[in-house]
Amino acid sequence: MDQETTAQLKKLDWFNELPDEMLDALAQKVHKRNLSRDEYLFHKGEKGDSLFIINSGWVKVFTEDSQGSEVVLNQVGSGEIIGEMALLDNEPRSAGVVALTETNVLELKRDDFMDILKQQPDLALSVIRNFSSRMRYNTIYIEKVTEMSKRVAKGDYSFIGETQPVQAGDKRPSAQDTIGQLLSEFFTMVQGVKEREEELKKQVEKLTFQIDEEKRKKEFEEITGTEFYANLKAQAKALRAKRTDNK
Amino acid sequence: MGKIVSIHSFRGGTGKSNTTANLAAQAALAGKRVGVVDTDIQSPGIHVLFGLDEENMGKTLNDFLHNKCTIEETAFSVGENALTAEGRKKLEGKDLWLIPSSIQAREISQVLKEGIDFNRMNEGLQNAISDLKLDYLFIDTHPGLNEETLLSIAISDILIIIMRPDDQDIQGTAVTVDVASSLDVPSLFLLVNKALPKLDRADLKERFEANFKAPVAGIMPLTFDVAENASKDLFSLLEPDHEWSKELRKVAEAILSVQ
Repeated sequence: MDQETTAQLKKLDWFNELPDEMLDALAQKVHKRNLSRDEYLFHKGEKGDSLFIINSGWVKVFTEDSQGSEVVLNQVGSGEIIGEMALLDNEPRSAGVVALTETNVLELKRDDFMDILKQQPDLALSVIRNFSSRMRYNTIYIEKVTEMSKRVAKGDYSFIGETQPVQAGDKRPSAQDTIGQLLSEFFTMVQGVKEREEELKKQVEKLTFQIDEEKRKKEFEEITGTEFYANLKAQAKALRAKRTDNK
Repeated sequence: MGKIVSIHSFRGGTGKSNTTANLAAQAALAGKRVGVVDTDIQSPGIHVLFGLDEENMGKTLNDFLHNKCTIEETAFSVGENALTAEGRKKLEGKDLWLIPSSIQAREISQVLKEGIDFNRMNEGLQNAISDLKLDYLFIDTHPGLNEETLLSIAISDILIIIMRPDDQDIQGTAVTVDVASSLDVPSLFLLVNKALPKLDRADLKERFEANFKAPVAGIMPLTFDVAENASKDLFSLLEPDHEWSKELRKVAEAILSVQ
């Protein structure tokens, strides 16, 4: 394998602390694969026994929703790792990956990876550190979304202005962007809910009413035309005068 | 000299007693000496809001009208009793008295048959103010424009007309406003209760004020929360942050700011 592959591996978080001779050994084990546009790297549910490093080009990580429509989880480009979860937990692929452009990937088989892991405990530590930082990152954002959900439930949307969703350009290992994606979708949803609510609030109705002035006059005259009323009015006047004097 | 605040509505069901009790409670909470008198002799109801029932009701306005006692003897101290509900508890130690109307059917029919001696009633209200050294005496009246109601309007310093935003209430309020003006009531406020949330309130306030030549002191929303709680406790004390309570406090402030 060439120097270029070694340099490529060194750029990755997982491998950058490995000694050069170890990187060279690793570079010996990887296989280059070229994908043309729309070519699948793997399908969801397939047995996963290797990880891939994108050398050049772009791929799309996607799954399907309950209606069978495609849901894009992520777009991944040069220098990023995909498929590493299947490599470690032996589960079938959790999502499918297809090339969006001409793409060149480096493939590392599980058996080769495990061999190196045994010889190189530092690599294991590095992998664990990487996963742990991803978990921490996910936890922070889950807590954030939980807190924001509570605020939305109370009709408080003020956080939309004060917090911005994670942008795709954030320097984060690739697969972690699925949580960024969730946050971004969450913000889009809250914005939509807020707008619909404001729209509803605007739909106020003006009260229509009409006063029958003739009836109003007639009723007033009926009430005030009695002897009782005349006495009451006189008494009220006297009473008010008296109370004013007392002040 | 204490002020007489009459709360009136042209028809029943406007939430008058509930609003009166809450306004009086807010005034008491603001440190004022406050009395509430239930002159709705035909269908008394406000006592329930202050935690008074047949068991603990002592002397009433009816006893006073029949010369059986002084008005001071009928006054029930809310600040010392009836603190049995969460909201009402906040009135502990406050200067708030209720002069209830009898809920005995026999006594109600007696007054209805014999009629009310207006001079005696008037004397009672004036005595309540001087004996209890009240800053405000709130009068909860029977709906409509009958003779007792006219008396309470005639002697009031501040008149609050409660209405729902519907045609019948609006028509009746128009007549009441004219009567209040003819009786030289010094301060008149309109209070809209049970307004649907979708109603354009700013528009409503502007048009009512233009039509009735009187300020709209508050527009309170129709809410299930208030309806559910109304007869058990004083809602504005129980749920002070509720929109209904906030709007009610605006009305209380308007009353307290009258010089």
